[in-house]
Amino acid sequence: MDALSHLVGGFAVALQPLNLGLAFVGVLVGQLVGVLPGIGPINAIAILIPLIFATGLSPESALILLAGIYYGSQYGGSISAILLNVPGEASAVVTAIDGHAMTRAGRGGPALAIAAIASFVGGTLSVFGLVLLAPLLAEWAIGFGPAEYFALMVFAFSALSTLSGGSVARGLASTALGLWLATVGLDPHSAVPRYTFGQIQLLDGMDFVVVTIGLFAVSEVLQLLEEGGAGDAAALAYGRVRISLKDLRDSMAAMLRSAGLGFLVGVLPGAGSTIAAFLAYSTEKRVAGLSGRFGQGDIRGVAAPESANNAAATGAMIPMLTLGVPGSGTTAVMLGALLGLGVTPGPLLIEQEPDLFWGLAASMYVGNVFLLLLNLPLVGVFIRALSLPRWFLMPGVTALAFVSVYAVNGSAFDLALMTLFGVVGYAMRKLGFPLAPVVLGLVLGPLMEKNLRRALALSGGEWRVLFDSPIAIALWVLALASLAAPVAIRRITDLKASDAATDATSS
Amino acid sequence: MTSREDVAATANGEKPSPEWPERIPGAVLVVLGVAAGLEATTFDVAFLSDPVGPKALPYLVAVALILSGIHQALRPDPGTRWPERAALVRMGLASSAFLGYTLVLPWLGFLLSTTLVVAALSHLFFAVPRRGVPAAAGLAFALWLLFVWVLALPLPVGRLWMR
Repeated sequence: MDALSHLVGGFAVALQPLNLGLAFVGVLVGQLVGVLPGIGPINAIAILIPLIFATGLSPESALILLAGIYYGSQYGGSISAILLNVPGEASAVVTAIDGHAMTRAGRGGPALAIAAIASFVGGTLSVFGLVLLAPLLAEWAIGFGPAEYFALMVFAFSALSTLSGGSVARGLASTALGLWLATVGLDPHSAVPRYTFGQIQLLDGMDFVVVTIGLFAVSEVLQLLEEGGAGDAAALAYGRVRISLKDLRDSMAAMLRSAGLGFLVGVLPGAGSTIAAFLAYSTEKRVAGLSGRFGQGDIRGVAAPESANNAAATGAMIPMLTLGVPGSGTTAVMLGALLGLGVTPGPLLIEQEPDLFWGLAASMYVGNVFLLLLNLPLVGVFIRALSLPRWFLMPGVTALAFVSVYAVNGSAFDLALMTLFGVVGYAMRKLGFPLAPVVLGLVLGPLMEKNLRRALALSGGEWRVLFDSPIAIALWVLALASLAAPVAIRRITDLKASDAATDATSS
Repeated sequence: MTSREDVAATANGEKPSPEWPERIPGAVLVVLGVAAGLEATTFDVAFLSDPVGPKALPYLVAVALILSGIHQALRPDPGTRWPERAALVRMGLASSAFLGYTLVLPWLGFLLSTTLVVAALSHLFFAVPRRGVPAAAGLAFALWLLFVWVLALPLPVGRLWMR
């Protein structure tokens, strides 16, 4: 098989000492930010990007590191969900239901074990999906013109803003805010300064790292300040992290199904790992029927969402890499990093940058093995991280954010901008505006505008060109249909979809 | 800001009538949209390079902001619970500390400024100074080592100590 020989080449990249080390560091950082509630992968990735630029890592090494943080955080999120009933990540919200019930029943050890194993199953199986589907999608998209790309980006925006906010109006406002920030600076086409108000620092535009760190990390600090100093919760006893063969046999089918479901949901723009976990949980609940004890500590209630959210994290890489159109805030930040490193993701990426794509795929196998080892024998170390006091943790994260933002341009102006976006982000969180569409708008805005202008330049100003091809029309229909998606999902899941949607801002 | 009675009324199953503070976010969006649109009218190019021009996306943004703002002003979402005064003060102090950091960083340099801001923030998270200040100094020093020595990234030394 063709993909197999490419994958062997990918392992040659992933097993280089530097890349092996970066995969380990990536999943370790991911695991940590996953365990710690409040600090998400998007913060860690945004904070690391200036350092990656400064140290001159190659694009494939950088992506191996950043992706490791992303899927590693899906493992970590379950630990605090199971032991504290406080999901470390939004995607572990459902895991908390049965996971914490198991802990209360004295089965915390098996719950932690099945979460690690299910994450591994979802994480590894989905990489097969990645190497099979990504080339197909790339081949299909190779004929995309600017009109198709424009429609695709509109689809990504509408999907993310409707699925992440609960309210279409607020999602629209967040997207518009992101696109607005994207227009700040010199217009690359006509060299007209837009929204710079005579400030030289704004001519280059808003740096997505500064905005993302402000919106997510600084606003998180403010939010935790509001809550006060509490949060140094003690984990319940969990016993030995072991699992019986019977438990494993019982949850195997749920893991496999959820891996497939989660992967497909992850590929779709906007949905992401939180919705994948919800869908997998409610599907398994339905499959189990009366035999299930879902809600009271059914092991499948841990296996299904953990398998699904890891698979979704892998799936989410596909549109970002092969179309150049990410479907979530975190993958948007990764796209920004790749663009900054001079790599333009798109249909040609797999052919032109085989080391990048296949190296990433191979490193995901390696990284998932690392994660399994970190989660089964070493889980106690990460549980101890939960007892780090907030007064130490949050100022530490803030200082890291400062250094990173300062490293972008070496200017204190960016630090002030970051603080401003921190206050804006806090207000948006309070008012229920999703934050991820802002980042997507900011990163994708320039590309969207470029494609729109190119499409209309080619057609001589004829707007009909945007709806001229079947693919473009299909994408417009999808964009419209996604406006109805929140209602549909609420109907499919019998869980509180609104809770998940509000929390999805960080995924 | 948002009155407690509203929250209580929702809990009782009554639908509270929106009060004017809840319409503020929508109004702010409308104002932002109008401002974005007005400013965009000044984006003139000497010769038309492409049929779309630099104004199209800003206009689209303006329309989206205004529409979303009108919707939220007419049908605001009640139930945002704003923090207590003490929490507001803590958040205000933290934001001021961050802004202060940007001012003093070029003068005091990375080590001292970072120690000060981290110590202040840990104090706002209720750390006792006996533990917060040494931790802040240690963190600043560790970051300095990591960035300047390991990653060879320049951090400001501070103009005050340069003469």
